[in-house]
Amino acid sequence: MSILEAHHLYKNYHLKGKVLAAVQDVSLRMDGNEVLAFLGANGAGKTTTIKMIAGLILPDQGSVRISGRDPHRDPWALRSLGAVLEGTRNLYWRLTPEENLEYFGVLRGLTRSGARRRTLELLDRFDLTHKRREMVQTLSRGMQQKLAIAVALIHDPQLLLLDEPTLGLDVEATETVKTIIREVAAEGRAILLTTHQLDIAEELSHRVAIIQNGAIAIEQPTATLIRQFSGTAYTIELALGLDSDRMSKVEALGGVVKGNTIYVREPEIVYEVLDLLKPLPLIKVEQDQASLTEIFLQVIHPVNAPSPSL
Amino acid sequence: MLDLFLAELKRSWILLSRYATETMGGIIATTFVFYGLFLSSRYIAGPGIALGDRLDSVIVGYILWTLMLFIMGDVAGGLQDEARTGTLEQMFLTPYGAARVFVIRAIGSLSIQLTLNIVIVVAIMLITGSQLAFPPILVPPFITALLGAYGLAFTVGSLTLVFKQVRQVQSILQFGLLLLLAAPTETWTGSLRLVGWLMPIAPAAGLLRDVMARGLELDGVRMAIASLNGLFYFTGGVLLFGWAERLTKRQGRLGGY
Repeated sequence: MSILEAHHLYKNYHLKGKVLAAVQDVSLRMDGNEVLAFLGANGAGKTTTIKMIAGLILPDQGSVRISGRDPHRDPWALRSLGAVLEGTRNLYWRLTPEENLEYFGVLRGLTRSGARRRTLELLDRFDLTHKRREMVQTLSRGMQQKLAIAVALIHDPQLLLLDEPTLGLDVEATETVKTIIREVAAEGRAILLTTHQLDIAEELSHRVAIIQNGAIAIEQPTATLIRQFSGTAYTIELALGLDSDRMSKVEALGGVVKGNTIYVREPEIVYEVLDLLKPLPLIKVEQDQASLTEIFLQVIHPVNAPSPSL
Repeated sequence: MLDLFLAELKRSWILLSRYATETMGGIIATTFVFYGLFLSSRYIAGPGIALGDRLDSVIVGYILWTLMLFIMGDVAGGLQDEARTGTLEQMFLTPYGAARVFVIRAIGSLSIQLTLNIVIVVAIMLITGSQLAFPPILVPPFITALLGAYGLAFTVGSLTLVFKQVRQVQSILQFGLLLLLAAPTETWTGSLRLVGWLMPIAPAAGLLRDVMARGLELDGVRMAIASLNGLFYFTGGVLLFGWAERLTKRQGRLGGY
């Protein structure tokens, strides 16, 4: 059984007599140990989809199952769900980290003693023990974000929804949150991550789903998607320039030499070129690789972007 | 469920203690506003006229009014605050169901507020020299009054969920509440009596006046009417809240402000 199964979700909003199709036929499935980057431009339907999964917006059609339970009919389905929606908006700013964790633990269905035990565990794990008695409003943005994730994990949910978890964080805090996300997923949880920081999505996700105009435009494992959108050319960077004999032989094979760099369009000739270069010192040999940012832009603006080599 | 109640009680107490100045200010202001009212009424009536049980009734009505205002502000105002700070959606991510959490939260914060109200009552009695009776039989009408107040509070809370901004409704309701509490429905006769029975909180407020200010025994029939009245408004308020929750979830406007 998958941790998340969302089937054929539809949602229309009625605004001043007009119908806005916010989500159309969106299906998502997630298993444990998995981070799914759910990407889309503003207004593409990400938030509506996430909130339908969390039971906060009622779908017009379709169904959601979290660990086999429907959050729209069975409130105990929410026992398997943790969510950080819109930054740190799951914290009481006039309570301390300890008080927030204990309160939300009970609210999510733990006993008081269970909530207390988990609070101490999470404060320790997230390195917040020394700040446990300070009001949330006095903590740094990074600490608030760590606490927000800790609060979402207080009841040990299987599915974690993270909406822009690194927004507004400095470099160090971003790295900390990224480490937390990796660790939390490795514990067997499914993490549905939305972010506009596509480099972070690329780094963390196992799969990517891009939503556009309310519908899933593409959904693939991250590595497959990047491979699919990447070119087949190779770049070979040398420590020193080529002598004229080698240069002419490389060019005769079809390579292009520019300074200390050789571009090889045909992957079949890469080893022949490398044989010619032996024993010159190399700095790097790499295949041209698309970034998730380029892929995202190509998917949402296919006309303006260069066509992918599919 | 006890764990949830204790967690809500603790949360309310912590938040109250973090706003200690405002809390103390509220107690002092409430007491002095009443003292001002008392002095004004004595000035208008003249020094020779004893206000007697009428004054006691005013005290009962005033105390109930402040309590009802608290309940109203706690539920509806609390919802608006949660929507503004962003924690509202988290309240709907609980396996207990949002309506149950809000009811338990309301009971938790009321327990603390009741303690504060006892301080106000004692202060008012000391200032005015009035003696109110506090027999145990006043507990049932008091509970029915609270049920009615919570019914109204959850009705306003439902409007808050749907329309987000209901400050105007709350302001109007403050005076409506005063009318409900101060109207001497227990003395009404004929068809007006039926109207009194149907008005929220009014039957319970009448019983409280009888028991606390006039020292009368609890009337069984009127107690039954007050109980039905309280249960009706409480159930109605909670059902309306559930309806408002479903409506806002359908409209996708739960977390908005």
